[in-house]
Amino acid sequence: MGAETDIAAQRDASVKYFPLVWAGLWRRPTRTVLTALCILLAFMLLGLLQGVNAGFEHAIASAHRESLITRTRVRGGAPMPIAAIPAIRSVPGVLEVAPRAYFMGTYGNPSANDTVVALATRADTFFRVITGLRASPAAIRALDGDRMGMLATTPLLKYWAWKVGDRVSLRTALPKKDGSQDWTFDIVGSIDAPDAQTANYYFGIINYDYFNDNRTRDQNTAEIFYVRIANPERSVATSAAIDRIFANSSHETRTRSQQAGAELQSKQMGDVELFTHCIIGAVLFTLAFLTGNTLRQALQERAREFAVLKATGYSNRGILYLAFSEALFLYLPPAILGLFAAQLVAPLAREDVGVILVSPGVCVLGLSCAIGLAFLGAALPASRLARMSVATAFARAGPG
Amino acid sequence: MKLLTHFGRLTALGLREIPHRPGSSLVIVTGIAGVVAVLIPVFAMYQGVQATIRNDGSPERAIVLSRDATDEYNSTLSREAVSIIGTAPGIRRFGDTGALVSAEIVLAAPVSRKHDHSDVNVTFRGVSPDYFALRPELKLVAGRMFRTGTQELLVGAAARAQFEGLQLGELVRLQEGDWRIVGVFAGGNGARNSEVIADAQTVMSAYKLDGFNSMTIALDSAGSLPLVRNALRREGRIAVSVWSEPDYLKLASKSTDPMLRLAAYTIGTIMSLGALFAALNSMYSASASRAGEIAMLRAIGFLPAAVAAAVLAEAVILALLGAILGIALAYGLFDDLTLSTLGGALFDSQLVYSMRVTPALVGMATALACGLGFLGSLPPALRAARGRITTSLYEI
Repeated sequence: MGAETDIAAQRDASVKYFPLVWAGLWRRPTRTVLTALCILLAFMLLGLLQGVNAGFEHAIASAHRESLITRTRVRGGAPMPIAAIPAIRSVPGVLEVAPRAYFMGTYGNPSANDTVVALATRADTFFRVITGLRASPAAIRALDGDRMGMLATTPLLKYWAWKVGDRVSLRTALPKKDGSQDWTFDIVGSIDAPDAQTANYYFGIINYDYFNDNRTRDQNTAEIFYVRIANPERSVATSAAIDRIFANSSHETRTRSQQAGAELQSKQMGDVELFTHCIIGAVLFTLAFLTGNTLRQALQERAREFAVLKATGYSNRGILYLAFSEALFLYLPPAILGLFAAQLVAPLAREDVGVILVSPGVCVLGLSCAIGLAFLGAALPASRLARMSVATAFARAGPG
Repeated sequence: MKLLTHFGRLTALGLREIPHRPGSSLVIVTGIAGVVAVLIPVFAMYQGVQATIRNDGSPERAIVLSRDATDEYNSTLSREAVSIIGTAPGIRRFGDTGALVSAEIVLAAPVSRKHDHSDVNVTFRGVSPDYFALRPELKLVAGRMFRTGTQELLVGAAARAQFEGLQLGELVRLQEGDWRIVGVFAGGNGARNSEVIADAQTVMSAYKLDGFNSMTIALDSAGSLPLVRNALRREGRIAVSVWSEPDYLKLASKSTDPMLRLAAYTIGTIMSLGALFAALNSMYSASASRAGEIAMLRAIGFLPAAVAAAVLAEAVILALLGAILGIALAYGLFDDLTLSTLGGALFDSQLVYSMRVTPALVGMATALACGLGFLGSLPPALRAARGRITTSLYEI
């Protein structure tokens, strides 16, 4: 019964408190608005910077550890012989292996800048390893069934106004085995990228065997092996086992899981995380100082009013409650707006920075920071008010 | 004259009162210091990368690429093209025949970065033995020159300092086995210091390449670029473009880091706005708490303009204090910090650069601080000068 009345009393109290808090907040509208704008900007920056980190983390987390990619260790090094495929397949835990070679040709008028790129590989394995891209099972079957088939990304189809069912002819610099330089492909399906970031992928997928049988250079080699393994926990060990196959040959390899590759990409830019954390730290520190000062002023200059409240029976806890509520009301709305603004602005940076992900995690972090700063800023002046005796408050505080 | 005296007295008065309201004065100082301490390193980073790429460009050198290519990586020059280019007029020659040129190949060498042990690439460049004659700013500072036909490397001082396994005498595993580091070069402030070089012919045979990427040529003088350009344009057997080195590097620096640029300007704008609001806030509350005093001063005959100017001056002085604090922080923490990021000659090779708190950056930060202090105190200053004396006096 006691607990129930407590809750009721509290609910009653919040109803009672709210107009007071609200009035306190708008006592000096200029100050409140300016402080709120500072908070909004700070949290917008926090959202954007932490969003950069979240973008990288998302890329790393969504990259698969069971997808391995084997490349030549030294870029530009000799491609690897496909004769090694049985050896790779015999590494424990390896489920499937597909070679990849690179096809580059021109379409239409060869003097213009009209290069078409296609990856020659095995479609079923490719799509199981490169999970960021999708093709319908029907399309993959169609490519399997048509030696000269090609799957093309939607942007590529759009760019050349190709349709499924079209037959296209691409010209390469090096002649084919039969002496001609023209390659014919049937467009048998499309590749979709569910991730909006990949909307500017322009390439096709063709059959490795068709390309390999007809090319005159680098025959029976691959510049990449796509490998899928059974146990993601073993990705590091399996990668090392694959690299050992090629050790001390003229085409040493470096195998990495997709996830390790994504991680590396963020590392190469320098320590992005450290950089963003430093800035966020500096911003929050400055903000804590600025708003702390505002809260101190706002609460202190109303010491007399709080004394009146105390005199009319408000408890010390009630005063604390009032002060902290006011701080929260000052902080939370602009913080939420700031995070929202970050979310709105983030897509604009996609091309230059990559995905900035103002994720729920980022928002939670931002709001906890806001709550933390509100309590931090209000703690000292509020406790001073709560402890202050009514008489001192009346004596000390200046007019109004 | 009267205005000046008034202004001087009022400013002195305002400044003397700062200790009585440390909170709101410190708000301006801290706010500005925060902005400056963040902006300086961000811009130092951005400019460090840009400058390192551009630094060593000389108008007396030109870069030849295949036509339609705008970077070395996408350019290919056949051996035949290279020998044709070497005969063009306007190229500096030594002796009777030798043209001072370097036909180069850009590749990548996998290394590990010292401070975080992450796997990165450095630019691995195959060059002609005349490389150092062509680039007098670079000097061999340790070891000896590579010998043609043996797998030997020279390493740039910046690369040696930043990455593991690039000390004199160490072996680097590349195509066709181990390559020994036999020398270290340094000098200039450019991107070439972040590279590892070897003899182009040796590189080509190890990597089984039959073409180059680019060619650097020494010009007779900066003015002979059009001569070379026209001669090569008329040459029917090859399709190349000739860039003066500074132009080429300018283009390269533009394409490298839109990310840092965007980051610098976004962070700069948001933080400056924040500091502006903070300054406004604190000057409003300062002038509000002094409303009565200001009214009194005006009542006894101080000019409104002098009152406003004194408020402005106080804010600008506080902002300058903040700027000094921020600059000192940035300088102490970040000046001369050497880092590496993407930005080498390849799309994924590292560029080693240093952050410098340059006079230009200090000037920019100071100007920004003054501007923010000024703008932030303008509305309160006007209010102080315009407000009705009687109303304000009433409040005392």
